[in-house]
Amino acid sequence: MSRYLLYPIWILLVVCSCSHQRERPLIGISFETLQTEYWVASVEAVKAECIKNGYDFVVAIANGDANRQFEQINNFISLGVAGIVIAPKDSHTVIPIIKAANRANIPIAVYNRVPASNLGDYVTVVADNLEISKNTVTYMCELAEKSGKKHQALIVLGDLGDINAVNRRAGFNQAVAAFPETIEVVAEVPSEWNQEKALAGVTNALQANPDISFIFTSSDFLFPAIISAMKTADKYYPIGHEKHVIFGGFDGDAMAYRLLQEKYLDADGVQDVFYECEASVQAVIKKLNGEPVESTIIDPGFVIHQDNLEQMAGKMWGASF
Amino acid sequence: MLKLHHIGKSFGPVEVLKDITLEVKTGETLGLVGENGAGKSTMMNILGGIFAPTTGKIEFNGQAFEPVEVSESQQSGIAFIHQELNLFPNLSIKENLFISAFPKKQGFFNTIIDQKSLSSQASALLAEVGLSVSPSTLIGKLTNGQQQLVEIAKALNGRPKLIIFDEPTTALSQQETDRLLQLINSLKEKHISMIFISHNLDEVKSIADHIAVIRDGALIRMQEAEIYSKKEIIRDMVGRDLDQFFPIRSTHPTESVSLEIQDLNADGKNDLSFSIREKEVLGLYGLVGAGRSEMARGLYGMEKLYGGQVRWKGAQMHKLTPQNWIRHGVVYLTEDRREEGILAFKSIRKNVQLAALPRFIQRFGGWLDYRSIKREVSSKVKATRVKYQDLEIQPVSELSGGNQQKVLLSRWLMTNPSLLILDEPTKGIDIGAREEIYQLINQLVEQGSCVLLISSEIEELLGMCDRIMVMNQGALTAEFNRSEFDQSAILKHALKAAHD
Amino acid sequence: MTIVDNIRTYLVKNPIVGVCLLYYLLMALMVPGFFSANNSWNLVYNFIPLLILAVGQTFVILTAGIDLSITSIIAVSSVVGGYLMSSDVGLVDGSKWSMLLGIGGMLSVGVIIGLINGISVAKLKMPAFMVTLTSLMFFSGFAIWITQSQNIYNLPALLVDAPYHSFLGLPLPVYLAVLVFTSCYLLLNKTLLGEWVYAVGTNIKTSWISGINIPLTLVSVYVISGVCASLASLIYTARLETGSPVMGQNVLLDVIGAVIIGGTSLFGGRGKLQWTAAGALLMTMLDNSLNLVGMSFFLIMMVKGAIILLTALYNQLGSKSLTHA
Repeated sequence: MSRYLLYPIWILLVVCSCSHQRERPLIGISFETLQTEYWVASVEAVKAECIKNGYDFVVAIANGDANRQFEQINNFISLGVAGIVIAPKDSHTVIPIIKAANRANIPIAVYNRVPASNLGDYVTVVADNLEISKNTVTYMCELAEKSGKKHQALIVLGDLGDINAVNRRAGFNQAVAAFPETIEVVAEVPSEWNQEKALAGVTNALQANPDISFIFTSSDFLFPAIISAMKTADKYYPIGHEKHVIFGGFDGDAMAYRLLQEKYLDADGVQDVFYECEASVQAVIKKLNGEPVESTIIDPGFVIHQDNLEQMAGKMWGASF
Repeated sequence: MLKLHHIGKSFGPVEVLKDITLEVKTGETLGLVGENGAGKSTMMNILGGIFAPTTGKIEFNGQAFEPVEVSESQQSGIAFIHQELNLFPNLSIKENLFISAFPKKQGFFNTIIDQKSLSSQASALLAEVGLSVSPSTLIGKLTNGQQQLVEIAKALNGRPKLIIFDEPTTALSQQETDRLLQLINSLKEKHISMIFISHNLDEVKSIADHIAVIRDGALIRMQEAEIYSKKEIIRDMVGRDLDQFFPIRSTHPTESVSLEIQDLNADGKNDLSFSIREKEVLGLYGLVGAGRSEMARGLYGMEKLYGGQVRWKGAQMHKLTPQNWIRHGVVYLTEDRREEGILAFKSIRKNVQLAALPRFIQRFGGWLDYRSIKREVSSKVKATRVKYQDLEIQPVSELSGGNQQKVLLSRWLMTNPSLLILDEPTKGIDIGAREEIYQLINQLVEQGSCVLLISSEIEELLGMCDRIMVMNQGALTAEFNRSEFDQSAILKHALKAAHD
Repeated sequence: MTIVDNIRTYLVKNPIVGVCLLYYLLMALMVPGFFSANNSWNLVYNFIPLLILAVGQTFVILTAGIDLSITSIIAVSSVVGGYLMSSDVGLVDGSKWSMLLGIGGMLSVGVIIGLINGISVAKLKMPAFMVTLTSLMFFSGFAIWITQSQNIYNLPALLVDAPYHSFLGLPLPVYLAVLVFTSCYLLLNKTLLGEWVYAVGTNIKTSWISGINIPLTLVSVYVISGVCASLASLIYTARLETGSPVMGQNVLLDVIGAVIIGGTSLFGGRGKLQWTAAGALLMTMLDNSLNLVGMSFFLIMMVKGAIILLTALYNQLGSKSLTHA
């Protein structure tokens, strides 16, 4: 008999966890992943903005699978959402998704990544990756110049299929080009947004170039890997120590905030998550109300460093964790 | 203890028991054997009080015994252990043990079950039969052997003077059987009398003090087990001499050689050469471990072969794989029915059709011709006399060992084989099915096939073969033609080198 | 026997079908937006590639094997198809010819990786789990390596629009699914290969003694699974308009889940394609309905995992009570 009972039991389980009714208009939130703090903070900020404006929301996470994200957006559309905020898997697979939303006449805001083609009707909200990383690295270079020594530099790259990673690298290159006397780039470590690859790559690079004294990472979430490699190479010391390495990152996550406080990190380029999320939701709402919206909204971001830590911490999303 | 005086039973004009007189003394075990339908069950039913004898008297424990219902027989101290178990799988061991008489607590009109004494009594009974599981275990979780022990514990609870075992080992594994036989031996020491009914003569011989053979409702002979040889028992059971138990073939081997083997090396040491002729049954005798199966399995492509030349019907065989052999009409009936013979949870039809399927591919579209397959399967299982309920639904694992063996034979018959390699084809099979298998072999040979019969039962080989080869430690040590058959000489060759 | 009796016996023999119906009814009643024409089409679209993958996987699991490499086959097919078809690469002019070439190329990827898997399992007698895990790692890496993690786009319009084209009122992918399912059904239930697949999965020793061509059977099932993965990749590639080296990375759990929920035994020999279809439908409905109510991603994963576990448990109990009966 127990055989026939099992199925109904789980069906009931599912049903119980499903049944609640909605009255307010819905916004569908689709995120590629929740695997780093950055995305978790973003999702929370988008949700908060929806609530603030009197909207209900549904969230779907694709777990890095473009096809699943496509299916989830279609599910949103048949659910009858009023608008969609999407953080897409990549800049190509978002195109058919935009098409589907356009076909259903649902406004869509693309968060954090710029679609590869500008066909279709959508709003992109994106940090100015190039400017922010350029400013961050420039600040670091000025520190290097003040030290009076010549520095060998290392950059940890992201996934070069990701336009953000490409722009951050470009920002880095433009910044160091202005200090040819002080900075010599000796290593570019590809990470493909992967901790293990970053760890292996940085360890190897530090072994090959033991004089490296300037490290910039394209994303904060790679800090654990990089720090572990630095410890192995006996290079992880706080600011002021003679073996200190000028160290900078990008994103503004909780670990970056802590490292700044503990004086291991010199500077961090911060994406203004709160601003970006607010802008994404606002773009969708404006479209719904028939108001004009710019097709691309740029988040200028800012650089946080030892000197402005206290005054800027309130705007840094990682500081609120 | 138990005396039967001139017991007879008729159903109308049909006389099923004829004037049976026998005695079981206190603490003695009687082995009762006979073919299916010989009258064993009728006799047991009379003792169990299910029906009364037409003539004669029964004396039990010194008193006249005329049970008219089942409980009466039980109360006088007779217990039955049947082949089919009468336990409730969804109740615990202790509940099953006391299902007819729960120990009750005093007071409350004696209606409350005394769980404590229930458990302790149950534990004591289980210890008596040597079963070390908790009395609260559900019956459904026990193996067949353990359930059998619970059944015995239940019987012991009634303090019986006589226990009747009706084919108790049929559903048990070898290990479980050994354990059961040990238990029965220990019951002897408690002066409990027993009647033990079984098809397995070795079991009966090992356990009984006396053996009684019943045939066609009459007691043929009752004798001390020690001096009653297996050969005599079988003769008494089937009513013919052992030689006649093996049916006689109408044909003789021809001169044309079917299979010719030269320097076949299956163990890396010995080269074997022999041949089989058309319409010949060639026997291969040897002790377990003499390398008989290894040779056959190597030849058939199931185990590694170190070298050798094989010619089949005059042509060199190059690829020795089962697939290729079957294509040439050579098949191998495995000794290990369960592991590599049957498809256990598949239907009888799926089991029988297996080897012959390529024959049924239709020319257009490559579909299988299921109508022909079904027709042929049902004709083959009829030919081998498989007893079944449904070809399509019944899984083959539900059949008895003998019927499973017949299913496997049907599978090979579907391929129209010219040579059958039979590895212990009658192991663990009752006498009736055995005889049917012998008849089948003869039919095939008469139709022109030949057989390589591997067996550790020398009587079987003597009865069936045209020629017997003896194998010893991997080598062929002797060969006997039918006219030279000599049991002791064969045995000597099988054993000899082992002592050298 | 009345019709009701017939239905009852059918449902007792095929419990997963009943579960599917029940789940559909419940969701239709309880989840707003589930029972709508729009969402029904959604279910169909999401169901088709999973069905195709699960059908291929069923063949492998019936032989007591497993094919973990399907996600890498999807990725390599997608990339190869992308290279052959994209106007950026421009191997062949004219979208019709490049499309034929592309589809041919994608299917050969399935055949080739299937052959590698099958031959390793059948001839080198390596465990299926190891072989296909190795393939998974190797070919996933291969797809990323040859593309340097880049997506391939600008695929022919003919391909990109195909999922939205209809013929006789039904979208083209539906025809593909029907074609794949029917031919696999006939192959498994009406041909020698089908009988061999079941026999090999039930008892490989018996099959060998009975003259079954075991290597051929095993190689065939892995090739079938590979081709099915390539076909699913075709659908994914068309509707995402992208050839991607990470296509289908997370679909493995859903595929194996669909087969197991359907009731096909991981130990081989027991199972039906109809069950797998119902299992795939259930997985699709689960995803869809839990999505619609906005259940969090991690909860969805947990619910799915729990369901696969419960079903495996149920099937285990079921087969035990069968052997005891």
